[in-house]
Amino acid sequence: MRLRASQLTKDFGHRSIVKGATLSVNPGEVVTIFGPNGAGKTTLIKILATLLKPTSGELEIEGTDAIANYSDVRNGLGVVIHENLAYPVFSPYENLKFFGRMYGVKQLEHHCMTLLTEVGLQHFAHEPLHIFSRGMTQRFMIARALLHQPSVLLLDEPFSGLDAAARQFVLERIAQEQRNGKGIIITTHNTELGYLAGTKFLFMINGELEEVAQKDEITAETLLFMYEERLTF
Amino acid sequence: MKALRQIGALIRKDLGLQFRSKETFVLVFVFSILVVLIFAFAFGPIFPERGERGKLTASVLWAAFVFAGIITLNRSFTAERSHGALHGIRLTGVDAGNLYFSKVVSNVIFLFLLEIVITPIALQFLDLLDVVTVGILLKLFGVLGIGTLGFCAVGVLLVGMSTSANGGESLLSVILLPLVIPIIMGGAKCTVSLLVTGGLDGGFWLQLLIGCSLVFLAAAYLLADAVIEE
Repeated sequence: MRLRASQLTKDFGHRSIVKGATLSVNPGEVVTIFGPNGAGKTTLIKILATLLKPTSGELEIEGTDAIANYSDVRNGLGVVIHENLAYPVFSPYENLKFFGRMYGVKQLEHHCMTLLTEVGLQHFAHEPLHIFSRGMTQRFMIARALLHQPSVLLLDEPFSGLDAAARQFVLERIAQEQRNGKGIIITTHNTELGYLAGTKFLFMINGELEEVAQKDEITAETLLFMYEERLTF
Repeated sequence: MKALRQIGALIRKDLGLQFRSKETFVLVFVFSILVVLIFAFAFGPIFPERGERGKLTASVLWAAFVFAGIITLNRSFTAERSHGALHGIRLTGVDAGNLYFSKVVSNVIFLFLLEIVITPIALQFLDLLDVVTVGILLKLFGVLGIGTLGFCAVGVLLVGMSTSANGGESLLSVILLPLVIPIIMGGAKCTVSLLVTGGLDGGFWLQLLIGCSLVFLAAAYLLADAVIEE
């Protein structure tokens, strides 16, 4: 198992944002978490990424207690969140080179250019990141998340703000990484894209996580119907 | 080996960020020059005695560098926080102590370069450049360097805490200045002594300066994990 979370909670003051979340992801599995804005998805992803300490609960990544030994497990995580996790003054190439050095990536310069070519940014490799559009930034963030070949990918709203071509690119990349054996967790409020990308589906509403079905057990229409029904109540 | 590689990459990145935009360097340079000019004009025509001129110059230098230091520290952490780059660095699994140490080193290098530029200008404006020998100037840079190390040792830790709070920039000045008083006292007294007598008589203030800088550095290194991870 790549990642296992059990009864995770997160409180900010008197507000409970994540209420007893339990989930797991295996190699080659894509877990899609659907939820509206403010459901606690981003907080959950930050906890799974070890960027935020949970109030209670357990988190294991590749068999290691990720709450106590967060430094040991971070190398195995590729993370895309709303912030670009990089320096806008630097170019994508410079950013990847810096983070690659930090991770200890071998043959760094060649690897950075290969990644930038794969995500279609080879012609913008030396332009500063702050001039990039949302879609280009998202492509860079995917390259950054894959830089050190992590075993778990945590993608928070990877489709938001993207045009059709960029969404297709993200979907294809997720499928490719799934075939490579990575465990992937995606959060989204887009049921159509989330269904296409995922192999297992969960709903997160008002901080509560509910496992719904595996992909072979449910159609996209049924999933959408169930999701809208949950939102109504 | 891994730690050294990471510290090296972080220092290079920090200096690259500071010098790429040039914003911070221009800002602190203009600010420091203004402090020197205001004091020079306010206290002019300059005192005839070297002793008085030495005391004034020491005050001007330390006032300029302390406030330039606060601006520099704030700016260096704003770059880390504004687009989540600090999260990106944490995700590489780097030890918080190494991250803290590299931040101290890069800020010390940046401020020390500023001091190398500003000090001769201040000495010129306050009519001391002709009486200060190369030996005294080197000792003066040594004192400024140690003081900057102590200042940044505490400053990096506090700016790490304050930038995530509302009104963090003003908060830093309020919490940092009382803590670095021993360093400012030691540094200012050593500077006066160097500029007036050309030596560091007794050595008490120098010992205070070095002692406090090292204690602050060690204590802050140990606390870095709690500050960066919380």
